Parts: sequence; C-alpha cells; structure tokens
Amino acid sequence: MAAVRVLIGMLGMDQHEVGALAVARLLRDAGMEVIYAGRFNLPASLVKAAVEEAAHVIGISCHSWEYLYYVDELLELLRAQDLNIPVVVGGSVVTADDARKLVAKGVAAALGPTVTREDIVATIRRLASV
Amino acid sequence: MANERTTQSGIPVKPLYAPADLDGFDYSQRLNDPGAYPFTRGARPVRPGHGAWIERELSGEGDPARSNAQFKYLLSKGQTGLDVIGDAPTVACLDPDHPFAVHAIGTQGVSICCLDDYRELYRDLPLDRVTLSHSLPAAFTVAALHTVARERGYAPAALRGSVIQAPYYAEDCSYATFMPFRLRVRMTADTIAFCSTEMPKFHSFIEDTYFFSETGLDSVEEMALGFIEIRGLVRELLRRGLPIDQFAPRIAILVTCRMDVFEEIAKIRATRRLFARMMREEFGATDPRSWAVNITAHTSGLSLTAQQPVNNVVRGAIQTVALACAGVQAIEVSTFDEAFRTPSPEAHVVGLRTQQIVALESNVTQVADPLGGSYYVEALTDELERRIWSMVQDIEARGDAAALSDSGFFRAIFQNAMERHARGIADGTTPKVGVNVHQVAEEEDTLLRAVAEGKIEPFRERIDWVRAYRARRDQEAVRASLDALVACAQDADANLMPPILAATEAGATLGEMSAVLRRAYGMTTDPAGALASAA
Repeated sequence: MAAVRVLIGMLGMDQHEVGALAVARLLRDAGMEVIYAGRFNLPASLVKAAVEEAAHVIGISCHSWEYLYYVDELLELLRAQDLNIPVVVGGSVVTADDARKLVAKGVAAALGPTVTREDIVATIRRLASV
Repeated sequence: MANERTTQSGIPVKPLYAPADLDGFDYSQRLNDPGAYPFTRGARPVRPGHGAWIERELSGEGDPARSNAQFKYLLSKGQTGLDVIGDAPTVACLDPDHPFAVHAIGTQGVSICCLDDYRELYRDLPLDRVTLSHSLPAAFTVAALHTVARERGYAPAALRGSVIQAPYYAEDCSYATFMPFRLRVRMTADTIAFCSTEMPKFHSFIEDTYFFSETGLDSVEEMALGFIEIRGLVRELLRRGLPIDQFAPRIAILVTCRMDVFEEIAKIRATRRLFARMMREEFGATDPRSWAVNITAHTSGLSLTAQQPVNNVVRGAIQTVALACAGVQAIEVSTFDEAFRTPSPEAHVVGLRTQQIVALESNVTQVADPLGGSYYVEALTDELERRIWSMVQDIEARGDAAALSDSGFFRAIFQNAMERHARGIADGTTPKVGVNVHQVAEEEDTLLRAVAEGKIEPFRERIDWVRAYRARRDQEAVRASLDALVACAQDADANLMPPILAATEAGATLGEMSAVLRRAYGMTTDPAGALASAA
C-alpha cells in the first residue's frame, strides 16, 4: 500500500510553529509522507498544494484563532472543486466547543491539546483510507 | 542512564553539593558584590529599595484606544510599568488591510500602523515617568514615540522605556517581517545609533531572547544565541564609529524563565558575568554602566499548559520567585490563559498579583542575591557560563551570522528545539502535570476554563479605518517622504531614522514604509506576493 500523504500547514499570520513541526515529525516517524507547507498559507494556496501533491489529508495546525474563519473558505473551495480531501484541524487553541463546531461544519477531525500522539496517527490513517 | 539527574538543559547534577565543588573559588573574581564587576550578583549596588523590579503584564489588544484602556486598567491595579505587543500583522510590518491580516487584527496584540494610532496608544501616559516596553517594530515605533513626545511637550531625551530588537532570528520563529537580514540589521543599528544621542534614557537595544526561546531552546542555547546577536550588533555599531560607551549602557536582555528554578537563576547570574567580561575585556568599554547589563524577564509561556489552566498560576509564582532571587529589573508573568490567548483582564490581575505577593509578602528580596555562595548555584553558574561561551565560540567559528541565517543554520536550531520539546512532553521525559502525568478527565477540567477560552473577535473595522486615514492625508507629502526614505535606503552609510521620522510625521503607514524598504532591498513591493510565493 502506498504511503499516506499528508499536507501540513498553517493559515494567515499564525506563526507559532511548534505544533506543526512536532506533528510533521510524528507522522513521518509513523511512516507517512508529509508535505510541509509551513507558515503563511491561505485556503486557496493550501488547496492548490494539496491537489498538486496528491495529499490524502490536509492538516491545519493553529496557535491563533484565524483558522476559525479560514476553515469555512477552505471547505468551500474543496466542495466547489469536488475534492474529497479530509481536513484535520489541530492545536492547543482548539477547545472542545470549537471542535464540535468544526466537525459540524465538515472538518473531518478537530484535535485539541489533550489528544495523544497515537490518536493523531490513528486519525490521519483512518481518514486517509476512506 | 535513565536515572541520571540533569538540569533542564541537560547539565548533569549531583544529589548534593559541598565545599569541594567550590574549590579555589575566588569571591572577588567570580562574584564580587552586587553593582561591582563582574556583576554576577546583580547589576546594581545594594541600596534602599534594592530588589524591587518593574512589575508589568503583557498588554495590547484590538485598536490603540482599547490597548490604552488596558494600560490604565493595569496601572489602576498597581502595575509599575507597561508592556505592549503588536498583533501578528503589525509585528510583521503589515497594515491591517493587508490580505493576510484580516482575521488576525488586534487578536494577539495591538493593531497599530500610523502616527494617529500612536497618539491614541500613548494618550494620557506620562512618557517621561512610566516605562513602556514595546514589542513592536523598533524603528517605526521609536519614530512615532519621538514624534508624539515632541507634540506633547516632552523632550525626547527625557523619554524612558524600551523596544525589543530581533533582527537575527525573527524570521525563523514567529516574528517574520519579510525583510532581508542586512536590512533588519541596518534598521536595528540605525535605531540604536539614533537613540544613543536623541533618546539616551530609552533602552533601544533590548536583546529579546524570550521570544525565540519559546521554540523550546534550553538555557544554554538561549543565551548563546542572545550573545551571538548582541556581539554582531555591537560589532556593527563599532564599525560605524560609535564609541562603545555611547550605546552599551542601554543594552538590556529580556530572558525567559522556565521551570528549572536553579538553572534559570544560574543562567541570569552567568549572563551578567559573561556580559561584563565581554564588554570590558573584548570590546574595551570603560564606563562601568556598559559592563552591568540589566536583565528583564518574562516567565515562560511554553511552560504553561492548556490543561488545567489554574496550574499555570502556580508555575508563574514559582518562576517569579526564581526571578526575584536572581535579581532582575523587570518581570512579566505569562498568564494562566497563555495557551489560548493574550491575557484576559482576569488573568492580567492574577499575573500582577503574583508579582505583588512575591514582592511584598515573601521577603525574598530583602537580601540581595540570596543564593550567592550556594555550592550548587555557584557550580551551576560556572558550568552555564562555560557552556554558553563554548556555544558562542562554536557558532562564531562557523562564519558570519548573515550567511548562517541565510543557510538555515539558526532555523535548524529552532526546529530541533521545537521537535525536542514536543518529544519530551510526548514520551514523558519532561514531566508536565496535567499533560503527561496527573491528568484529569476533560469534564473535570473546568476551573478557570471559561475565562481562559474566551475569544476576541478580529478588529476588522481597522481595515476601513486605515483606508480612510490614508485618503485624508496630504498625498504629495506622503509620496515625497517615501521617496526620501527610498533614497536614504540606497545609501548604505546613511541612517534610516531621519527619513522614517519624516515619513511618520507626513502620515505614512508602517506597511507603506516597510514596503518601500523591502523594495529598496530588492524584494517584492507587495508582501502578499512574498507571502504567496512562500506558501
């Protein structure tokens, strides 16, 4: 089976990269291919990168609240282009309440600060295989 | 070696220290009294009121008026200094109507981009008495402060306060300005040179090791990289012909304070000693004020957790005691809601009260450098001094900082630290109560949670505001001032501050001035293009 390909990036001016890099390393260690888009992405640039890189999953790392607004645009772009790429949002700022709202909007999984490494890997693996 | 004891930075420690650990220890050479070379025990001599520090909490939220209200709120609670940070677009030198700014306006700091904004930020503040520490783009902030002060009748020479400088590492850890290395260094040196004559009481050279340590650096890496930047800037200022004693007295270091109490204390003591030796013996400073470096500190935000936010209050208290024992000139306690946001009003008061309780009730400041002479703390201070200096020499042997920055050498250090930090928490080698040990179920984790998770809406009204501001200026004057700034930028020997001052007075914005400077240095006019191509 081909390796799971995950695009990891951050949106807008959100620059605190600790979580994004840690998750990228974690997924690589779990045998996945990580395309690290880093900081300063907008929804359109992430969708474009996901298509070009044939990513199975888009992972958004966040340490500011900007994702709350960008996620709608990201999901809309994916729908408009008929792309079925699951979006995972994760970060210490994602509260339980935020997570419920994100999932209701169509985010495949929202992972807050209490998530374990095993859960992150299992979540990505499960979404990539759907 | 799973049971080997080490400090947070990996220095092996024994379970007990004894006189043999200080064999041959020479008091006058290694310590001396506070206020005397090499200043290990403190930058200032013991005198009435010694041990007191400036108590401040991080502020800046929404627009300048809201941030000014925060200042007044904190002062009314007994705060003795002010500290303001810009929001993410401002720190990146972008105006609020930049396409990348829209959802980040005023949510993690103040949105501030022009002279009218600074007038509002400083409204009613006694600028010659209150010390305002700025985590804002230095050159532009100094220009605006200088201008507002003159408008209000303050002599710039009487201005106090400080501004952080972060030219070496900003792009690599959370403070990207989208400016090339040599422009960042030039703007820093220009600001310091300008202030050394125009605003001699103002600390225009705050070496900020705090923000880049939040990537997960250890104490040795933190101070080594800090010294690398200080040394680079000092050499640049000397190259321009500035006498060392003209600017060195206004160098201060803003450090982090992690949870390893004695290592953080030893780090601060070692830093004072290293700085003194470097200034006197290497750079030839003769004014004792150039040898004695002021240390200010923020307690580590990275040490705080989203889980059980109330535990962060305890962490802040322990760190504050450590800093009080180390002897610092100012403290800011990172607040219990740090994992989620810049401080809420409730968290502000808890952070300030933490400082006030340590200062007034604990008696830890009655005696200067109370740990001086401790077998352990002195041995650790010596070891940190050795390790920090060894890392400085190792990095300097690799070539000049600009090349190291461009080649990603520094970024690799930060990236390694980020991964190491995450790994330590994940595998439990770094115990974090509430995270990897003594966790509670999510439904039990409710204390202070609602406060910590409170959100601020982006101040999107700033977009229309800045556009209207631009429209009502004297457009010719703005254009001419920006042209003059570009002309100055093209002369490498000129100081950028006079044209930045003139452009600020003419009404140019932070984003406009930054854009023409980026262009003058061969970058794209539109930072959005720079950003988009980086994506």
